[in-house]
Amino acid sequence: MFARRTRLEVIAAPLLLLLVSLAAWETMVRLSGVNRIILPAPSAVVRAIWTERAMLLRETAVTMAEAVLGFVLGSGIAYLAAVVFTYSTLLRNAFYPFAVALKSTPLIALAPVLVLWFGNGMASKVVMAALVAFFPVLVNAIVGLNAIDPEVFDLMKALSATSLQMLIKIRIPTSLPYVFAGLRVGSSLAVVGAVIGEFTGAIRGIGHVITTSSYYLNTDVMFAAVIMISFAGIVLFGAVAYLDQRLVFWAKR
Amino acid sequence: MVADGTSPVLQLRDVAMSYRTAAREVPALDGITFDVARGEFVSIVGPSGCGKSTLLKLVADLLTPTGGSVVVAGSSAREARLAGMFSFVFQNPVLLPWRTLLGNVRLPIEIVRRKGRTPAEVLALVGLSAFEKLYPRELSGGMQQRAAIARALTYDPDVLLMDEPFGAADELTRDTLNVELMRICEQIGVTVLFVTHSLAEAAYLSDRVVVLSTRPARVAGVVSIPFTRPRAENLRGSVEFQEVVTCLRDALGSK
Repeated sequence: MFARRTRLEVIAAPLLLLLVSLAAWETMVRLSGVNRIILPAPSAVVRAIWTERAMLLRETAVTMAEAVLGFVLGSGIAYLAAVVFTYSTLLRNAFYPFAVALKSTPLIALAPVLVLWFGNGMASKVVMAALVAFFPVLVNAIVGLNAIDPEVFDLMKALSATSLQMLIKIRIPTSLPYVFAGLRVGSSLAVVGAVIGEFTGAIRGIGHVITTSSYYLNTDVMFAAVIMISFAGIVLFGAVAYLDQRLVFWAKR
Repeated sequence: MVADGTSPVLQLRDVAMSYRTAAREVPALDGITFDVARGEFVSIVGPSGCGKSTLLKLVADLLTPTGGSVVVAGSSAREARLAGMFSFVFQNPVLLPWRTLLGNVRLPIEIVRRKGRTPAEVLALVGLSAFEKLYPRELSGGMQQRAAIARALTYDPDVLLMDEPFGAADELTRDTLNVELMRICEQIGVTVLFVTHSLAEAAYLSDRVVVLSTRPARVAGVVSIPFTRPRAENLRGSVEFQEVVTCLRDALGSK
């Protein structure tokens, strides 16, 4: 009985808060008569989503394609690099301090340079997304590939396991919980990277929609675009979290 | 599990081991000499921290001794390790959490590729056949340790090295596991080198017990256990058994 009530509460409480906030927002806009260019009412945003649905879906798809492609590329290369670093202490010692430093650097500051180099098409956004997803995955993968219980190491050595067997049978599975922690962060960052890339210079994508509608003072479309990309980002994060739970079923969470 | 009297499978001669710290060299083991015959069950007891586990790792070539030699069936410890002659059981079960019980027990033959007992056979041997599809976290501590023993027997190793395998178990589980281990060893006749700090456990399981002194550890004595096999479970309650344990305690205290 108690558990049921808690479960209901977990779903109902935030939903209720959302509805109350939206109602307050709507009422405030109607009563205060604030210019819809400054703050459109929720009903106006919903209307904008509906009337512009084809365009919004198309442009969200463009941004998500850039983000997902960059995310897969960035995290894939990061994992391969982590495997290389596991076997070469020289390379690892040379690169690791920079990897840790760059992990917490706002790489999105590089967006203008990337647009300059890769043009205002999809390529510069894919590179941006890849770059921001790269470092969290790299650092977590290096930690994970080396987080081996010393007894497991002895067990494998007593069996005379080769380093390839060690990698495939022990290191990679051991690294997965760590890697997924990096992937969760990376997936959100990749969407941010793609949108920032579009802000800087693009002719397509949700970032482009936001900049142009801001230029034409279509604030309701701007809000609509933000909501669309938020949902898409949540879906991507959810997909990564789902994969995490299915693949790393043994990890304590 | 009767020693067959032919050439010993393990020969330790003047084995020494020291660790180098920043300040000086710390000797851990010194002049360790003893043999283990094929099919024999030999325990190593000694004060805690005396280097019992180190000795086991030297035999398995997980560490290299700083002096003396370890000969395994006529070859070096390294050759023996590369030939897959050893298997190890640790104090913790060390099961891989992403593999089922069957998958864990299969691990050694994926690596050693030697003909021997199948995973299904060894799971039957330790009485875990019904649980082969379960994951380690779904099993009790005692079952996990039985699985670790099964894994160590999968590819039919020549020497089974056990480093306080029941040290983390409660007393009841430990007694059950002792009986089980003895039954298994008698059934398959494997050679065992067994590290423990329980004198009763050593007396119950072993053919001979090697007693080590404090650091640097030397062989303080080798005690032959007079009981015939198979040994009954209630042997541990007998007066004769207590006498053997006392004898071991005296050997420990003499140094």
